[in-house]
Amino acid sequence: MSGIEIGRLLRSGTTGFVVGCRVNQLNAPSFGALVRVPLEAGYDVYGLIYDIHIEDDGLVRQLITAEDVPEEVLRDNRENRNVPVEIGVLALGYEKDNRIFHLLPPRPPLSLDTIYLCSPDEIVRFTGAGRFGYFRHLLRDRDKPVDELLAAHLMTARSAQAAAGNQAWFDAALHELIAILRDDYQGLMNLLGAAGEI
Amino acid sequence: MSEEINPRAPEETGPIGYIVGGGLKANLQARLTVPAQHVQEGAFVVVESGGWLFYGLVTDLQLGATDPRFADEHSQARLSPPLAKLLHGQTLYTNLEIMAALMMEQGPEPDDPGYAAWFQQVMDEQIRPEPVKTVPQHHAEVRLARAGDIAEIFGTEGKAGFFRIGDTLEQGHPVCVNLDKLVQRSSGIFGATGTGKSFLTRVILAGLIKRDQTAVLIFDMHNEYGPDDTASDTGLRVPGLKGKFPAKVRMVGLGRGATIRGKSPDYHLEIAEADILPEDILMLSQELNLRETTPTTLEALRSSFQTDWFQAFKHMRVHAFVEDEEGKRVPAPDSVEAWATRAGVHPGAAEALHSKLRRLFNAPYIVEEPAGNALGQMIENLDHGQHIVLSFGKHESDLDYLFVSNLLTRRIRRVWEERTNDFRSGHQGAEEPRPLVIVVEEAHKLLNREMAAQTTFSTIAREMRKYYVTLLIIDQRPSQIYDEVMSQLGTRITGWLGDADDIQAVLTGLAGREALRGMLARLQPKEEVLMLGWGVPMPIVVHSRRYDDAFWEDLLGKPSKRSNQDILGELGY
Repeated sequence: MSGIEIGRLLRSGTTGFVVGCRVNQLNAPSFGALVRVPLEAGYDVYGLIYDIHIEDDGLVRQLITAEDVPEEVLRDNRENRNVPVEIGVLALGYEKDNRIFHLLPPRPPLSLDTIYLCSPDEIVRFTGAGRFGYFRHLLRDRDKPVDELLAAHLMTARSAQAAAGNQAWFDAALHELIAILRDDYQGLMNLLGAAGEI
Repeated sequence: MSEEINPRAPEETGPIGYIVGGGLKANLQARLTVPAQHVQEGAFVVVESGGWLFYGLVTDLQLGATDPRFADEHSQARLSPPLAKLLHGQTLYTNLEIMAALMMEQGPEPDDPGYAAWFQQVMDEQIRPEPVKTVPQHHAEVRLARAGDIAEIFGTEGKAGFFRIGDTLEQGHPVCVNLDKLVQRSSGIFGATGTGKSFLTRVILAGLIKRDQTAVLIFDMHNEYGPDDTASDTGLRVPGLKGKFPAKVRMVGLGRGATIRGKSPDYHLEIAEADILPEDILMLSQELNLRETTPTTLEALRSSFQTDWFQAFKHMRVHAFVEDEEGKRVPAPDSVEAWATRAGVHPGAAEALHSKLRRLFNAPYIVEEPAGNALGQMIENLDHGQHIVLSFGKHESDLDYLFVSNLLTRRIRRVWEERTNDFRSGHQGAEEPRPLVIVVEEAHKLLNREMAAQTTFSTIAREMRKYYVTLLIIDQRPSQIYDEVMSQLGTRITGWLGDADDIQAVLTGLAGREALRGMLARLQPKEEVLMLGWGVPMPIVVHSRRYDDAFWEDLLGKPSKRSNQDILGELGY
């Protein structure tokens, strides 16, 4: 399995992890994208990007206040900055021995493990397995922008599934989300409002 | 319908919902999975669960929402149509309330070798549905009944007395009533004016006459069952029973020379004065506004004149005086006052009764010596498998109806009682009496609270089939009929009723009254009837059979040209 490498693991836990990357790697990952961390032969952890965070550093603070900063200095600061771009990933499941589980991974990735962006085939495989069990991980943490995250994920996944010929996937996914959230009027309406933008 | 019906025929409907709650006392609740328009109140549904089939009736449909805000907010305005549709599909729903009535073991699958034998046992009534005693599981599938389900419960048309009375509401599957069972207890046909009672009665009577196991005596107050008629609403010709069963139905006119819609009846009925009992008069207390002294006066009359009391009283003069030997003005010997004084009755009471009985004294059908023994002939006709329509002709006042119907019924029932006793005690040559159904219109006039204790009708209703006589009562105000009589009615077939008391009365003594109450008030007039009670396995709403040419063709076959010999044969030559 290969894919686009987006960075290496900074820190991790059972429910998610943070990936560090260089600015020049930042054109690949996007909010709501599905990523994969291969840990050992036959064991991959899957997650969804819920946050892309750029910290400042001392030099940026100085440059911000300086006048007429040359273009090459700006580019140098961006490309060679010491503080990495941080990408927050929510753990959604794992794959072991070619079987997808929409359960939290038994153990998290280790620091400096490489994180890859999932290919459309991998998206189809992961999102098409089971009955949308990974939605519960998404919906658990209401501190995150769940509605927007789901909308972004649905847009990506729908495109991949449709390309694979699964036109009904999107409706089935919404069906499941409505079933899960039907006792939460406000949450469901927010989600559908976001889904309506897709 | 044939015996090859497969109750699980695949061409028929799939599930319409699944069980989500309820119980035996409260009705079952099912979540509807098809548009609500596909199911109507009164629909006959089947729940398949754990090897059992539960048969029930939809008694209510309720709109619900997982959160009231989903129902309150018009979300089509906020969401795209596909999203709104998805949302409504899961958050808004319709629940069915199902009154489960019967359950039956499901039997083997159709492709099982034992299926044919099992189905035959069902058709032969060796395996019968039983009253529901448990509940189906959660999420058990609910479907509309198929033709085979209806046949399992209500029987197959044309077989052993099963007669199609209508069709189910949604899919038009035939629903039958067992005529043999129907007549085992007294029955009632109810409905407000203009709801098709008379047509439905004609349909059932035609079925009974065709079935030919029961004799029928119809007190035809408004001359509508025997002769051909014209429908008041459509203006179309409505065939009478006489026209369709010329050899089986005897038209009897009340009074000498009576004609019915311009035609002569088969014979006339006159009532002999000697046949009238004081009880027959007492039954008219309300109609004649009789006083409390009447029973005493009548008893005195019977003591004085025995069976001739009516004739003697009729010929007494009122306010007739003569002078006695002393020249004193005294009541004439043939006067009411003179008799009253002799009999120790208050003369004023006797004169008042005489005055009130004048309507009967003047009734042309009450005679001293009837021209023929019409009553005997009626009994003989009934004995020989013929049916009587007694048309009241121009004598259609309540007084005529109450008096004649009660008197005749009393006499006929007595004959049947004697025959039954002879038969049961094993008298040589005594045959089992032919079951008799007496059809009574405007039954509340004969069976109301005040009259019920006095009339023969209430006795018949109470004793069920003890003496082979039962009633078929037809009424628009069942609430006016005495509760005790209503509770004895086996089968009740009712069209639309608007009055809450009438609805309550029709449901007297039945389980699931509350669930059926609303259904009765929402029946479609002239189209739908609710059948319930002992004579039907479970309550069901049917689209009642039309009384039209197609009905007669179904019942009698297509009309064919009859030979002279056939015609003469029918006339008894």
